[in-house]
Amino acid sequence: MSQHRPPNIGGGKISRRDFLKLLAAAGTVMTFTPFVDWGKFLPNPQEAAGQRAKVELPDGSQANVKTFKVNHAEAVIYPKSNDQVLNAESFRTWQFIRLPAELGGDKSDASAFRMYSMVCLHLWCLWKYWPEDGRKRGECPCHGSMYDPMTGMAFAGPASLQAPPSNVLPRLDLEIDDKGDIWIKPPNWSPSANGVVGYGRYLT
Amino acid sequence: MGATLHNRDNSLVRLFKWIYAGLDRTIFMGLKFTFPSKFVSPLGFLGMLTFVVFIILGITGALLMLWYEPILTRAWDSVHKINDTIPYGFHIRNIHYHASNAMVMLAILHMYYQFFSGRYKIRNEILWVSGIIIGVLTILEAFTGYDIIFSERAELAISIAASLTNSIPIVGPDMMHAFFGNGFHDFVLRFYAFHVFLLPIALLGLMVIHFPRFLVFDVPMVMAVTGAIMLTGGVFPIDMGLKFDPNVPPGITVPEWYLTGLYSFLRSGYDKFTTGVAWPGLFILTLLIMPFIDRYKKFSWKDRPIIAALGITSIAQIMVTTYWGFYIDPDRTKSLLERLVIDPIFLYTVMALLVPLSFGFTYLMIKLAKNAEERSKTQKKPAEKSPIQLPEKWLLIIFVCLIGFQVYLNIATYYALLSGMKNFSLFLVGIIMLVFAGMFHLYRQGKSLPKSNVEVVSSKRPSYGLSSFGNKILGKDTSKKPLPVDTSTGTTSTVSSLPGGDLDKKTQEEEPVAAESPEIKTPSKSSTSTTSSTPSKSSTSTTSSTS
Repeated sequence: MSQHRPPNIGGGKISRRDFLKLLAAAGTVMTFTPFVDWGKFLPNPQEAAGQRAKVELPDGSQANVKTFKVNHAEAVIYPKSNDQVLNAESFRTWQFIRLPAELGGDKSDASAFRMYSMVCLHLWCLWKYWPEDGRKRGECPCHGSMYDPMTGMAFAGPASLQAPPSNVLPRLDLEIDDKGDIWIKPPNWSPSANGVVGYGRYLT
Repeated sequence: MGATLHNRDNSLVRLFKWIYAGLDRTIFMGLKFTFPSKFVSPLGFLGMLTFVVFIILGITGALLMLWYEPILTRAWDSVHKINDTIPYGFHIRNIHYHASNAMVMLAILHMYYQFFSGRYKIRNEILWVSGIIIGVLTILEAFTGYDIIFSERAELAISIAASLTNSIPIVGPDMMHAFFGNGFHDFVLRFYAFHVFLLPIALLGLMVIHFPRFLVFDVPMVMAVTGAIMLTGGVFPIDMGLKFDPNVPPGITVPEWYLTGLYSFLRSGYDKFTTGVAWPGLFILTLLIMPFIDRYKKFSWKDRPIIAALGITSIAQIMVTTYWGFYIDPDRTKSLLERLVIDPIFLYTVMALLVPLSFGFTYLMIKLAKNAEERSKTQKKPAEKSPIQLPEKWLLIIFVCLIGFQVYLNIATYYALLSGMKNFSLFLVGIIMLVFAGMFHLYRQGKSLPKSNVEVVSSKRPSYGLSSFGNKILGKDTSKKPLPVDTSTGTTSTVSSLPGGDLDKKTQEEEPVAAESPEIKTPSKSSTSTTSSTPSKSSTSTTSSTS
C-alpha cells in the first residue's frame, strides 16, 4: 500500500458559491424532512386503536355496570390479540377496578371505574388490587410498592420515590353505553395523556 | 510480498504459496501481519487479542443461534434446552459467556494501554475515537446478550435500561419505543436483532476503520487467551438464573461486572438521567476527546503527568464504583430496599474526595519520579541497553503469587469436579491450549537462540519493524525500576513491528508530513533516538541480545 500524503487539513476557506450550495442542499433536506413519516417502522406503540374496545373480562364477557361488583378488580388484556404469546405479555395486562363505595364506586357512571396498567413502575412486576378492608389499594409483590386506586399514584414503596411521571400508573379512559356495557376509549400513549406502560404518566 | 516457488516444494505447498501470492491483490496486503518470533509483551497487541475473542464469540454465537428462540415465552426455555439437553450446548454457551467477559476486559485493557502510552496522537485520533465507539458498542453487545436469556436478572437489567432511556429529555420516550418496542415480546425480539446482527455489523464496520495497518498475531498469546477462556468456562460454569415471572419477587441480582459501576450510581436512588445517562455519557465523551485535550508533545505517560493522573483517577473511580455496585449489605434482617439503596451523600462524597486524592497523588508521584530520574541522569549515564532486571525479592513475590493462584485454581477445580463438572472437557481443552501456548513459546525461544557463534545473515525480507515499541513505554528509564513485565526473556528491545513501533519509521519516511508538523516530529525523533542503539533486525535476525 502506497503511502499517500494526508490532505492539507490546516484552515482552508470555503468559497461563497460552495457555501450557498451547501445552504441550498441543507435547506432542501430540511424542507422535506417533516413530510417523511419518520420512524413508523421502528417504534411500535401498541397498535393504534382507532375505535373503542370492549372491557373483556377473563370469563369472556364484557364488563357491565350492573353486574360488576363494587370494590372488585379483574385483570383485563388490552389490546387483545389472537396470539396467545402476545396476550401473555405483561404490557398488555390491565387492572380493571370498580372503586370501593367510599371512593364513589357505587355510582353507575364511568367515574366509578378505573383501569390501570398492571406493570409496576419500579421494576415491572405485576401488581394487583387488594379489596380487603384496611388495604383497598394496589400492591406489588416484588418490592412492596403501593398504588392509590383513585389516581393510580404510588404512595409507598420504591415506585413512590421515583420522579414524575414514573410514580403514576398509565390509565385507560372508559365510557359506558346505554346498556351499561363498559368500553375503553382509544388511548393516546403519551406521558401527559394516558401514559406509557412501564414508565408512567403525569398526573394532571 | 509474493512467496517464491521452489521446485522442491510439493504441490500442496505450491498451492498455498500460489494463494498467498494472489492475496497480494487483496486488501489484506495493506495490513502487515507479524508473527513474532520472540516473546512480545501482549500489551502491544491487546486489540488483536480482543478481535480474536470477537471471532470466538461470533462462532459460538452462530452455533447458539441454531437453538435460541427469541420469543417471549420461549427465550428462557430455549436457553435452558441449550444448557441441559443439546449436546455440547453447555460448552458452547459457557465459551460464549466467558469470551464475552474476556472481550470487554481486553477492550478495556487495550484502551488504557493506548491511553497511557500516548498512542492516540500523531494521526491516530481516528483510531482512538473509533476504538472508543467500538468499546461502547462492545458493552452494549454484551449487555443485550445477557438480556435475551430473559432470566430474572435480565428482566431487571431491561427495566433499568428502559427507564434510563426513557429518562432522556425530549427524545427519551421515542428512543425507548424504537429500541425496546412495546413490552417484553417486542423487547426480546429487538434485542435479539441488535445482539446478533445490528451491533456486530456495526462493530465490524468500525473495525475496518479501527485496524491499524500493522498487526501482530502472536500464536502463543492467542492460544493462551483462548485456553484461559475455556479453562474459566470449565471451572466456573455459568448458571441459568431463574426464569422471569412478573408475579414472583426477584432476588437480589447485580448486573455483569462491567455495569456494576453504573449500577452503584443508580442504587443511590438519585435522578435517573443524571446518574444513569449523564455520568457515563460524560465519561465516554471525555475519552472521545482525549487526544484533542492532550496537548503534550511527548508520548510516555511520565512526560504527560496530567493525562496520566487523569487516567489513574478514572481507574480508581471505576474500581471503587464497581466494587460498590457489587456490594450488598449482608444483613438479612433489613428490608431489601434498605440493603440495596446506597446513601447518595456518602457515595458522592467518596467520589468527590477520590478525584483530587488520586489525581493529586499520581501527579505528585510522577513529578517525584521525574525529579529522581533527572538527578540520576546527571550523576551517571545509564547503560544504553539493559534488559529488565528484577530484584530477587520481586521474583520471589511473583513466584509466590503464581503458586497461590495455582492453588486457588486447583481448589476451584476440585469443587467444580465435586459438583459434577459437566464441562470437564472444556477444562481439559483449556489446559491443552495453555500448554500448547507454553510449548510454542519455548519452541520459538529455542529457535531464536543462535545455533553457533557464526553470525547468520538472512535479510531477504524487509524488516519493517523498529524496536522502539517496548522501549517507549517500558523504556530504558523504566528498566531500572522493577517491573513485572517481560521478565522471562529480557528482550524488550527486540520486537517486531508493532502499531506503535512503525510510527517512528513512518514519520521518518514521510519527510513532507514531518515537515508540515514539526511539533509531531520532535517526539518521535527523540523516541527513536533513545532506542536507536537497539537492534532493529527484529524477526529476521538470528543473532540477538538473548544469546
